[in-house]
Amino acid sequence: MTGTRHLMTPAALLERARAGDPLALARAITEIENGSLAGVELGLAVQEQAARTATLGVTGPPGAGKSSLINALIGELLPRFARIGVLTVDPSSPVSGGAVLGDRVRMAAHSANPCVFIRSLAARGHLGGVTRTTRKVIDLLAVSGMELVIVETVGTGQSEVEVADLTDVKLMVCAPGMGDEMQAIKAGVLEVADLLVVNKADLPDADRTADFLRAMLMHRGDAEHRIALKVSTLRREGLTELAGAICARLEQAGSPRHGALGTGNSQAALARDTAELVMAIISETADPAIIGLAADLAGGTIPRRDAARMAIGLLARDAECTSLASDK
Amino acid sequence: MHDTLPRPRVLLTKSFIDSHDRAIETIALALRDAAMEVVLIDYEQPEDVVTVALQEDVDVIGISFMSGGQVETTQKIVAELERRNLSDLPIVVGGIIRPFDEPPLREAGVANIFRGGAPLSDVVATFAALSRSYRGIA
Repeated sequence: MTGTRHLMTPAALLERARAGDPLALARAITEIENGSLAGVELGLAVQEQAARTATLGVTGPPGAGKSSLINALIGELLPRFARIGVLTVDPSSPVSGGAVLGDRVRMAAHSANPCVFIRSLAARGHLGGVTRTTRKVIDLLAVSGMELVIVETVGTGQSEVEVADLTDVKLMVCAPGMGDEMQAIKAGVLEVADLLVVNKADLPDADRTADFLRAMLMHRGDAEHRIALKVSTLRREGLTELAGAICARLEQAGSPRHGALGTGNSQAALARDTAELVMAIISETADPAIIGLAADLAGGTIPRRDAARMAIGLLARDAECTSLASDK
Repeated sequence: MHDTLPRPRVLLTKSFIDSHDRAIETIALALRDAAMEVVLIDYEQPEDVVTVALQEDVDVIGISFMSGGQVETTQKIVAELERRNLSDLPIVVGGIIRPFDEPPLREAGVANIFRGGAPLSDVVATFAALSRSYRGIA
């Protein structure tokens, strides 16, 4: 496979991923995460196809038991969803850029199950609890036939709410002793969660923590339909109830996602797509004119604004770049 | 921090019944500090290692042995890699590797063997070089 790794076009990768080849799917994810030209084109293709899939976000502080809970939930949810994709995000080192991706250590029970595809992602400096390209990877998993995609965020504090924009139903997992009612009424991640879960209910403080959360929900009056649940992953208590609540909310949320862009934001979307494509083309190009331009820029012999405009000019003139983009 | 720079992706693994995790964690930290993305799992069956390596699109598999099964487990993983068309994915083995384990491990195609006391810089350099060649980077 080594030799073919870079020879495979995005279209071929996508076709094989759709046909259920896990290696093609895994490599497509890598390309998207790396923002390569192939990855950008894959991202645009899968967003356009926007296959419908149910999505569940799981967030909460480090050590609350998100990975173990997901491991248990996969077992509860597999009868309902034929194939489940799981994305687990862990932080990248701000010092080296490396990462230890240790979430799937807790999900070993599903390693051998072909109906479960788990992928660990490094946040690579992206704030918000997920990665820069998580939405595209969700769409890729959907196109590849996953009926449910579970997204586990990095261990979050109070304001990492990006997963709320990416998923239909959001689970906030707390451990007993997360704080008092004052913590529970603060703005942030507790507001965007649909289900508040107190995990490790086998520990002493679980009732108190659940009470703080329920009090917060009560203060919000009759319009509040969210619930707080106690779960013990360790003792396998409360899992069936939680899975039932998740499925009920997924059904409520079931409005189809649209691949087509609304008229309102189409210009902004075009700008974003173009910027990503241009970035990848310029990063990967072997065109001596552009490489020379970069050298001039490094030498300080050309203003940055002029260099950028000249690069755009070179791309526009260079028919090969355009066909390079459309061929793949 | 450049968030699209391709990073070496490495899978480090040991058996779920082997509780000796200090070595594997030491290596994981050293590789993390060398800017690699390190996936950790405890396998139940040797074949699971290949499924995970495939889903995670890693460039190198590192297997830690602190009790038994050095040769048999490695052979099973190599066979599964072949079965799934990943036979050139490099394997590094570390831990308690007895002298008589070495010939069959080499024969199975293990790229490198590290025992206790091996300099971390050698381990890191080996993983980095294997990742580069697997990805086709000179």
